[in-house]
Amino acid sequence: MPVYDLKRLAAVPSASELVDIVLMRTQRKTPTVVHPGYKITRIRSFYMRKVKFTQQTISERLGAIVQDFPRLDDVHPFHSDLMGVLYDRDHYKLALGQLNTCKKLCETVTRDYVRLIKYADSLYRCKSLKVAALGRMMTLLKRQRASLGYLEEVRKHLGRLPALDPSARTLLVCGFPNVGKSSFMNKVTRAEVEVQPYAFTTKSLYVGHMDHRYLRWQVIDTPGILDHELEKRNVIEMQAVTALAHLPCAVLFFVDVSEQCGYTIEQQSSLFHSIRALFADKQLVLVANKTDAKKVEDLDAGRKQLLEDMLSAHRTNGPGGDEMAKMVEMSNVTEQGVADVKNLACDLLLAHRVEKRRAYQGGARVRDRLNRLHGTTPDAVEDIRKVAAAARSEADAAEARVAKAAPRPTERDVMWRNGGPGVYSADLTREYIGQLKCDEWRTDLVPEIMDGKNVLDFVDEDIVAKLALLDEDEAEAEEGLESAAREAAHAALSPAELALVTAVRDKKVLNRRVAQAARGRRNAPVPRQARLRSEGAAGNDEDDATVRGRAKSAAVKRTRSLSRPSERDGRAAARAEAMDVDGDADANPAKKQKRSASRGDAHRSQSRPPPRDEQGLNEADQDAAREIGKKMQKKMNRMARSGEADRKTGPKLIRWMNEGKMGRGARNCR
Amino acid sequence: MCTRLQFEGTNEIGVVSMLTNAYALTCVGNSENFFSVLEAELGDHIPVVHTSIAGCRFVGRVCVGNKRGLLVPNTTGDQELQHLRNALPDAVVVQRVDERLSALGNCIACNDHVALCHTDLDRETEEIVADVLGVEVFRQTICGNALVGSYARFTNQGGIVHPRTSVDDLEELASLLQVPLIAGTVNRGSDVLGAGLIANDWAAFCGYDTTSTEINVIENVLKLHDDDDSDDDGPQKPERFRDALIDTIC
Repeated sequence: MPVYDLKRLAAVPSASELVDIVLMRTQRKTPTVVHPGYKITRIRSFYMRKVKFTQQTISERLGAIVQDFPRLDDVHPFHSDLMGVLYDRDHYKLALGQLNTCKKLCETVTRDYVRLIKYADSLYRCKSLKVAALGRMMTLLKRQRASLGYLEEVRKHLGRLPALDPSARTLLVCGFPNVGKSSFMNKVTRAEVEVQPYAFTTKSLYVGHMDHRYLRWQVIDTPGILDHELEKRNVIEMQAVTALAHLPCAVLFFVDVSEQCGYTIEQQSSLFHSIRALFADKQLVLVANKTDAKKVEDLDAGRKQLLEDMLSAHRTNGPGGDEMAKMVEMSNVTEQGVADVKNLACDLLLAHRVEKRRAYQGGARVRDRLNRLHGTTPDAVEDIRKVAAAARSEADAAEARVAKAAPRPTERDVMWRNGGPGVYSADLTREYIGQLKCDEWRTDLVPEIMDGKNVLDFVDEDIVAKLALLDEDEAEAEEGLESAAREAAHAALSPAELALVTAVRDKKVLNRRVAQAARGRRNAPVPRQARLRSEGAAGNDEDDATVRGRAKSAAVKRTRSLSRPSERDGRAAARAEAMDVDGDADANPAKKQKRSASRGDAHRSQSRPPPRDEQGLNEADQDAAREIGKKMQKKMNRMARSGEADRKTGPKLIRWMNEGKMGRGARNCR
Repeated sequence: MCTRLQFEGTNEIGVVSMLTNAYALTCVGNSENFFSVLEAELGDHIPVVHTSIAGCRFVGRVCVGNKRGLLVPNTTGDQELQHLRNALPDAVVVQRVDERLSALGNCIACNDHVALCHTDLDRETEEIVADVLGVEVFRQTICGNALVGSYARFTNQGGIVHPRTSVDDLEELASLLQVPLIAGTVNRGSDVLGAGLIANDWAAFCGYDTTSTEINVIENVLKLHDDDDSDDDGPQKPERFRDALIDTIC
């Protein structure tokens, strides 16, 4: 038997929504590009796929709805009948049946059109067939508008039905309208059913829960029932009848003895007799309600007789065999008898259920669980020790009872006064109070023992101060040692030597300062190459180079040979020559240009090559080149051809279409 | 009186606490709510002590004790041991046990007179248990489970064991322990009674999920009912309560 979760049925889309869902899904989940140039088999399969996919989606959707909604034959007969009453059994079955038919029709349509598409000879025909197939399926779906709408309403209503468990311990309250059923329900449970002084305030079943004798009980409040034939009963009454017919429960039949509800006791009695068949095999308690207005003993003999008849008409198969139903007087206003009604009904039902359990499978289940039902007591008599312990526990219990009057302040209160959980940390030493010889000891640190030795014994408290002192002493000693050594060295020198030493030291300091100043002015390190070039360009004195013990030109040559082509090396040699004849520098303009370039602009970094317009071709050649360039471009411009400067967009290659081992068309998705 | 309570959202209160006739231990939690429930019930009679064992919270699973003593595993730190000795009354001997099965609470179940222990427990440990706790020690299994401390909880008044224990086993155990026993559950059907229930001769605490039927079984067998309830309609009396039990478990 499938388990239906009536509270969590998926929402049913309306017909138009369903059409949208199906078509959107087909559009999203199947390929969309096809060309007339493709092979016809490929075009056919493209469209066949669309049609089949649409049909699959429809089948899935409709199938899910048909599957999700409870089948009336599969659920508990109570639920089945209740749904039959509330939603009209025929209508419900028809709606689901129509969806199922629609699903099947769609399958037929698909089969037919796929067969046609197989023989289509062009893309256009294939497409037309596909459109026709989808159109027919959508028309079929649209025709389900009413069924889908109805099922959605049913779903919403099902979700709001009370969670009623047919197999739980149940008390069922029934009777004429306005006899105080809902008031009783509100008295024994916390269901808060609406109570009003007019008939049919309660229009559906209500469920409340209560605890009694350590068990959970379900109380069902039913709408009032009028006394007429079953066929004439309306939906509201039929819910009560359904509950009465199918739930194994104790029935509380309410009779308003004061007749304030507007129905006489005769009428109520007549109703009782007409639905008496439904009480068979159930525990019945006749509740004589509203005794605050009129007591049962105040009734006239005829009415009393009617009540007696009602009682004797019903036989309960109780634990004591065939028993008469019982009557309890009750008043919701004074609450008199409410507990009696509850206790009596619960006890009757429980006794009945236990009887059934004991009889079930010849009592095998009860026998299996005897260990949990009875337990075992040892044969030996009570030991003295246990008696003592029991006595002590008695004393303690008595003491505890006294103490309960004034609850002691707990750690929790302290916690909330000191920042609450997470912030407060309990003072564990508080628990030592009264346990130690001297209460002052409780804040003493507990020694930490490692390898059998107390760690604290090896701890020096002012170790830091001592260390600082030691550092100081050492620094002092070192300083003294240094100055002594210096003095000793000086003492060995003559005054002249001392003067020299001082001069050397001063010079060293001076040199260091000069170097620092130089670094400060231009602190960017210049690469060796650039440094050499600038030195060469500035034409610094030859002897400066020779002073360092190496011929300058040789140095230049060495670096150049490593970094530049030999042709320019030759030029450098020429330049070096020209430098010798200082006077006629102006005679050679090209050389002058070179020199001025290498001398450079004051604002231009010397490490950079000369500007572009000073490099390469001379001005005349440059002009000529420009002319040629323009000329070359003329034709291009006139014919509006695209050149290399134009923006170009290459063909868009879709990656997955162009890579991998598979050839084109090896799979449908390609 | 058996009280339902939770420790920081878990129902396994027997893991984080233990209760004997002479003292109660709880772990150090983030909040004092759990401790305070025990303190309010027991604080007037016996010390309720915060402690950790080996820096961990599972105090109830690694310690075992009764009114005469407390055995802690060898993982217990010196400071923890000293704390326990400071906090517990002088009459309670706190002893560290060098045992391979260091979850003593799972392996040993005891009251003030008898102890059941795991079948693989060391002989030395068994002797320590007998000496320190002053009990007779029996190596036993409960319904085939060697972890007697997990699957049983008994006091001097009575005890509750694994729900699948057969009637024969129950009788054997009851004759060993000399207390009435019943098979039962806590925490809505959980069979780990040691974790779901802590009890001594006059008080008991169980996990928050425990149903009223389960509580009634526990109260009946541990004799925790107050006498002044007897003039009530008395549905908790075993004979009257049996119907409810049959309806629930059969």
